[in-house]
Formats: sequence, C-alpha cells, structure tokens
Amino acid sequence: MSSVDIVLAGLLVSALRSAAPLLLALLGECLTQRVGRINLGLEGQMLVGAVAGYATVAATGSPWLGLAGGAVAGALLSTVFGWLTVAAGANAFASGLAVWMLGLGLSAYLGTAFVGVRIEGFPLWIGGLTPTVALALVLVPLTALWLFRTRSGLRWRAVGESEHSARALGIVPWRVALSGIVVGGLFSGLGGAALSIDITRTWAEGMTAGRGLVAVGLVIVARWNPWLCLPAALLFGLGEALALRLQAADSAVAAHLLHMLPYAVSLLVFTLTCASLRRDPRSGGAPAGLRAVFER
Amino acid sequence: MSRSAVRDALRGLLLFLVLASTFFLLIGRDPVSMFGAILTAAAGSGYAVGESLVRATPILLCALATLVPARLGLISVGAEGQLYAGAIAGTGVMIAWAGPPPLLLPAVVLGGMAGGALWALLPALLRNAAGVNETISTLMLNFVAALAVTWLVYGAWKNPQSQGWPATVEFPDIARLPTLGDSRVHAGLLIALAAAVLLAWLLGRTRWGLGLDVLCSNPRLDSVTSLSLARQVLLTMAVGGTLAGLAGIAEASVVQGRLQSDLAQGAGLSGFLVAWLAGNRVGRTVWIALGVGALLASGDGLQMSERVPSSVTLVVQGLLFVAALGAAAHRDRGTRHV
Amino acid sequence: MITNRRLGLAAIAAALTLPAFAAQAAPPTIGYIYVGPEKDFGYNTSMDVGRQFVQKNLPGTKTLHVENIPETAEVEKVMERMIRSGARIIFATSYGYLDYAISLGKKYPKVAFLHAGGLKTGANVGTYWANSDDAMYLAGMAAGAVSKSGKLGFIGAFPIPQVVRSINAFTLGAQSVNPQVTTTVVWTGGWLLPPKEAEAANSLIDAGIDVIGGQVDSPMTYAQTAEKRGVHVVGKDVDVSHLAPKAVLTGASWNWGPMMLKLVKEIEAGTWKPSHVRGDMKDGTVVLDKFGPAVPEAARKTILAKKEEILANKFKVWAGPLTTQDGKPLLAAGAPMPMEQLESMQFFVKGVIGTVK
Repeated sequence: MSSVDIVLAGLLVSALRSAAPLLLALLGECLTQRVGRINLGLEGQMLVGAVAGYATVAATGSPWLGLAGGAVAGALLSTVFGWLTVAAGANAFASGLAVWMLGLGLSAYLGTAFVGVRIEGFPLWIGGLTPTVALALVLVPLTALWLFRTRSGLRWRAVGESEHSARALGIVPWRVALSGIVVGGLFSGLGGAALSIDITRTWAEGMTAGRGLVAVGLVIVARWNPWLCLPAALLFGLGEALALRLQAADSAVAAHLLHMLPYAVSLLVFTLTCASLRRDPRSGGAPAGLRAVFER
Repeated sequence: MSRSAVRDALRGLLLFLVLASTFFLLIGRDPVSMFGAILTAAAGSGYAVGESLVRATPILLCALATLVPARLGLISVGAEGQLYAGAIAGTGVMIAWAGPPPLLLPAVVLGGMAGGALWALLPALLRNAAGVNETISTLMLNFVAALAVTWLVYGAWKNPQSQGWPATVEFPDIARLPTLGDSRVHAGLLIALAAAVLLAWLLGRTRWGLGLDVLCSNPRLDSVTSLSLARQVLLTMAVGGTLAGLAGIAEASVVQGRLQSDLAQGAGLSGFLVAWLAGNRVGRTVWIALGVGALLASGDGLQMSERVPSSVTLVVQGLLFVAALGAAAHRDRGTRHV
Repeated sequence: MITNRRLGLAAIAAALTLPAFAAQAAPPTIGYIYVGPEKDFGYNTSMDVGRQFVQKNLPGTKTLHVENIPETAEVEKVMERMIRSGARIIFATSYGYLDYAISLGKKYPKVAFLHAGGLKTGANVGTYWANSDDAMYLAGMAAGAVSKSGKLGFIGAFPIPQVVRSINAFTLGAQSVNPQVTTTVVWTGGWLLPPKEAEAANSLIDAGIDVIGGQVDSPMTYAQTAEKRGVHVVGKDVDVSHLAPKAVLTGASWNWGPMMLKLVKEIEAGTWKPSHVRGDMKDGTVVLDKFGPAVPEAARKTILAKKEEILANKFKVWAGPLTTQDGKPLLAAGAPMPMEQLESMQFFVKGVIGTVK
C-alpha cells in the first residue's frame, strides 16, 4: 500500500468515528448556548456519561441501555451546573470548571471497578460504521429542525436572544435555561457513553482527553447552528485521524507536532470565525444573550 | 473583610462540609477522620506546611494572572499555557546562555516572564485585531503550549544523557531561585506575595486601577479614563502572562529542576477558579490560593492514611469549588460576571 | 507462615552485627508509588499485584500505596511523607522517579529505595527490572506465524528505549518465522489515551495490518479493538485473553511479586546490597502468556522450543546479525550487543516502519 493509500484508507470513516462522540457533545452544547448559557463542565459530563454507560453495559449486557445510562448520568451532573448558574447566579466559566473537576473525580472514583472489564459493544456495520455514528448523524437534522422549525425551539431561541423579551412573551426564562442545560447534559453524557462503549470499548479515568472543552469552542465555529456542528466535529475528527494515519504512513513530520494538529486547526478556524463575526455580527447567528460574552 | 464576605465564606464552608461529608459517607468513610486526615496532611507539620506552600505558589501566580485581565472584564483561562510558555522561554535561556554566570539567574527569570507575557499577548492581539473571544483562544493555546513542551523535551531539547527519557538537562544550581532552608519553598512565593501587594495597591488605589473598573463596566468611557481599551487589553494580559510565566520558570528551574511535560499540574485552571471564587479581589485570592494549594498537597497523604484512591481528592476539590460558588454567588453582581 | 517468622527471627539474630540495614524486629512498612491509576489493567496494576503478593506473604507487613503521582518533584514529597509515616522500604515503580529516589536516598540513608528500571544506584538505592525482550521476541514469532498479510503493527506511547526494544524484539522474532514481515509503529504521545489507542489500532488495521502489539499503560483498548475488528493481538504487561479471547495470540506479562518479596526479605535480613536486579522468563518475573486459539500447533512447538533455548542460554535475542532500519549492518553474526547500547536503544531494526523521533 502506498503512503497515500494508507492515509486515505478509511480516513473518512475514521474521522466520523472519532468525531461522533464529539458531535453529540457539540449538539448538546449548541442547544445550551442557544439558551444563552455556556457550560465548560461538558468534559465532566462526558466523563460521567462514559463511566455510567460502561457500567450499565457491563451490568446489563445491552449497549443501548448503556447509552441511555450515560445520557442520564450526564444530565444529572449538568443539574449541578444548572443550580450554580441559574439558581445561584454564579459565574458561568468558574461553575463549568468546577463541574468538570467534580465529573472528573466522580467518574474516576466510580470507574475503578470497571477498568479492564470486558463488554460487548455494538456490532460493526459495513464500512466500519457503528450505531453511535448513525445516531449522531441522525440527531443533527433532528436537532436543527427542532430548533428552527418548532414552537418550543423558537421559545428556546427567544430566551437566548433576550430573557427580558421572552418574559414579555410569557415564557419563563429560568425554566428554559435549565432545560437547555439539562438537554446539553443528556447529549454530552450520550457522547461520553458512545466513546467508552463503542469507540474504545474500555474505560479509563479522564479518557475524554479534552474533547468536552474543545466542543465548547467548536460551537462558535459552528455558528450555533446544529447543521454546522457536523462539519465542525468532522474537522476535529479529521485532524485526529490524520495525525495517526500520517504516522502509520511513515511521514517525516514529528509525531508531537501532529498531535497539535486538531487543536491548531480548531483554533485557526475559530479565529477566522470570530473575525468574520466581528465584521458582521448579525450574520453570525450568535444568540444575543451570549453576545455580551463574545463580542465585547 | 466585610461582614457579608464573612457570611458568604462561612456559608460556603458549611455547604462544603455538608457536601463532602455526604460524599465520604457514601463511599463508606468516616467524615471526621477524613477531614482530620486532610488537615494533618496539609498542615500537620512544618514539613507539610512547606509542601502546601510549594503547591500553592504557582496557583497563586496563575490566579493573579487571571485576575488582572479580569478587572478589565476579560475572561482568560490562559494562565496554564502562559506558565508553559514561560518555562520554555526560561529553559531556552538556560540552555543557550553564553554570558557571565552571575547574570544567568536573572536572565532565566526575565526570560520566563517574557515568555509568559508573549503567550498572553497573542490572544490579546487576536482579540483587538479580529474580535476573537479570549476565553476560547486562551483555552486552545493552553493545549498548544503543553504539546510544545512535549515536542521539545522529546526532540530538540532532550537531554542526551537521559538515555532516551524525555527531559531537558538539569538547571545548574546558579540558575535556580533560592529556597527556604531545607524545604522546597522558594523565592517565587515571596515574589508572588509581593506582586499581590503591589497589584492590590495598583488596582485599588491608583487611577489606572480605577480606570480599569470604569472601562470594564462601559468600554466606551475610554475618553473619560484617558485609557484606550485596546491598549489596556494588551497591558493587562501581558501583566498576567508575566506572572504566569514566572510560575512556569520557577516550577521548571527550582521545583522540578528541569523542563518536562505536565509541569503545570493544573495550576492554571486551579488559579482561574481561585481568582473567580475570590471575586477577582487580590486579598481573598491569596487566602483561597493557599487553601487550595494545601488541599491539593494533602492528596497523597490522604491516599496513604485513609486508603482512598486519588480521585477522592479531586472530588473534594470539585465539591469545594461548587460549594464556594453556590454559596457566595449572591454578592458581586457586577459586569465581571457572565 | 509460622515458618517464615521463625526464619525471620533467626535471620534477625544472625544479622544483629550488620550495619546500615540491621534487620528489624517488627514487620516493615513498605511504600509503593505508582505513576498512573492503580487499577489501570496494565503496568501499574502489575506493580500493585506485586505489592499484594508481598503483603500476603509477609504477614504483619503494612503497605502504603499512592497512585497518580507524576514523574516530577511531587514524588519526592510523597516518598518523604511515606518515610515520615514509617516506611522503611520504598518501591518507586516508574522510571522518571529515579533522580528523586537517589537524592532522597541521600537524605534518608536508613531507608531502602527500590527503583523500577533505573541505571543508577546509590548507597541505599537499588533498581529492579525484568527483561521482557525475550518474551516479546517469542510473541513476535507467534505474530509472524499467524499474520497473513505479513504486516504487523505496534502502538507505543513514547519512543523511550524500553519501548523501542520491545518493538525491535517483536520484529526480530516475527522475521525469524517470516523474513518479509514489517512492523509499522504509531506513537500516541501519552501513556493512557484510550481514544487515540483505539484510533491508532483502527488506522493500522485499515492499512492492512493483521497483528497488533503495543506498549502503553494498558493493552486493554487496542486488544478490544483488535477483537472487534477480527484481527490478532499480542498483549503486554497483563494477560489480555479474557478481553480478546479470539484475537489474542500470546503476550509478555509481568509477575513482580516474587522478585519484590525476595528484595524485601533481603533488606529485612540485612543482606541486601544495592544493585541492578534484573529478572526474566527464567525466574518467572516475565511470563509468556498462554497461546490463543489462532496460534497453530506447529507454531506453538517452534516457539516453545525457542523458549527452551533462551532459558538454557543457547539463544540470545540481542546478538548479530542485526541490520538497522536504513540497511546498515550493526552487529556481525554472533556478536552480542553491548549493555549501554541495549539500555539506551534509540534505533529500529530493518523491517520497522516509523521513526524514533
């Protein structure tokens, strides 16, 4: 196999696989940011989702139940973030980081019993795709259509634009904000479970390795649009897949530089996105509630 | 401290005790002995106190590095990356130094500060020029800086005597900050405390500091304060970066003795949390940083005496921040919040 | 057990005149420090299993164990705390702890330090390690025999000598069965990064590789991936047969317990002298895992025969003829590899695809 062949063989599938857990978390954070909240605790939620999902599969033998278990765990942890930011009015970034820390510790503690435990995950479909990739791909249009075409989606967007105006319309902003946070928790927990049940079929503490944090930034790259979450996640997945495949193809580039690739690429796209947003804020689609954060 | 601040602190402490005790009971441990073990490990002997101070020093510096830009309303999580950048720059100076030996230490320290400042100026420039949100850009740059360290210690700067193991050559004694007696407490702590005092004065008592407050609440008032927002963005980030860079070169030269991966051990993010918990007030930042440093330093002692895994300390730390944030949030609703 | 105690007491009586490590009457407190999670189903678990073995076989012994201590000055602080808690023996189980062990050894001359894999000793600092290269060679033979494509893969964390040696031994073993095999190496950049390990395994498999070996903190992820994708795997550090029952060929596992126990007993008896203790398959510190179903009977016979040769010292893995990656001959036929070159190996043999940088 020539070098080019090695790099290209299954690159798209590999990128999709790598991107699926991230995409799920990304969709979740997209919705959360659409109601005007920014949750850095995504990483912790993914981790508890990963361990809960893994434990559920180990206990029940069903990977689908595992995904559900992971989603529930992520949602539970997100309520801590919800309490801190909605009820107690604490700073969003600090709260997110605190939730991340909590999630990291709790998942590590609960997971020690499951390291090295064997689970049977999803069966492989043709082309190397798996049900979690399909699930993530299906959720993209579902989320987009819900957000842009339904009344409840409209209510969420209204709250994200202006809690004041939303209240005038009879919407209760804190309920919507909390819903947005919890749904974000569901999605990110699902993403974490997809990672441990499907991609690696193992559990190890801290295994998400920053994916949750990257997702928060990628939402901006995706311009808060669920449709664009797919290419954003794919971008990162592609960076990761390329970094490993270039090594397998014996490229001369140092492995460590290649490992920087996904983050550097994300940062580059992020910079370009912010630049164009600044030129024309209206085109960006940023919820006005977040604009205070992002377009000072 | 004002009465409401004391009330908040007590409320936070009470909430923390409740949450942590619940957790300890759930994992089948006696809360009293756990808290006792944490306290003993953190401060039960002169030695323990010293180690807590060592752990707290980079956290304090990174907290100050977060605090200065925050006074302008910037939310930077970049202290960790700036710490690494400072460590890289200072190590580079050490490796390439060809000047007189007595000047090596100041050169290394200045190099570290400069490295941190430059790494902080990057997101500042991006913000000024292209409106790039500093929170996300600093977050990503943290990853890049950490990976850069790995790249260097495995590649160009790998110590040829280390038989393939990744680390640079050791810092010669003359390039290390002085330490206190037999412990590993080093001059970086003194510099951090001095910086805290200086910043408290600058931010609270000078026209510059008050000007920052005004700019923070309304960026269009720059004519009133005769400060330009863009310039202050650069300045505050650079000041922060200098402090974080100092933390980095201190860790590399005197605490570790060489540049290696995972130098920061989360000091940057802990520092961010400390600064925001303290409401970006310098005095409170110092106390909270010392407390957090002590808690983190007690981790291995807790593992040893109570036979719990390392994740327990992480959970306790998370619960501490959650409790402090939850209880103290009702005050200080200025524009420094999101 | 009672017999042990009697022997111990007798040894104490006999050793009362010895200096420095004068035998103690009470059972020792032993400290263990791990660089990663204790329960990682890999390297650290293997060290912890050793600790449990010592604890079980020396009744009354107290062991202190601390996990997730990075290879920084933090470990010095942890070791010091252990000593202040009464530890008389410290097992520093990760390579990067060496300099700290040595410097702390100077501060506490009455404490014995045992470091994993180091190449420096002190007055009270010794090292312990085991040669897994022989077992990796044999595992490579299995890989060479089973691989249909002739392409092997290896997932490593960092290009440090211990990993490079495993890769070379693995490749040499495979080439002894099929001279055309190649080994493609991918570095993950971290000791415990399951998503990267899974992705590395997948990309290797996509490139046509059908046997994967590795040396990261735990083999569990790439073993699971190999099982899922229907290719084969060779384990390291721990036996992966329960995780990958169809995919596993064999593996090179650790069994630190007996070596650790022996060292502790020597220290307690006062007969220990700091040195580089090295185990291997012969003394059981390294174990060649049982064969998986895919290894044909004929191959098993060949491999086991080679194992006997190694155990009888008739065959040396690190002896010529040896050619490096770019085709240059390194060792002439029969010439042994010098110790320094072996312990600091930073080159690949011919047939390995990848860089050491």
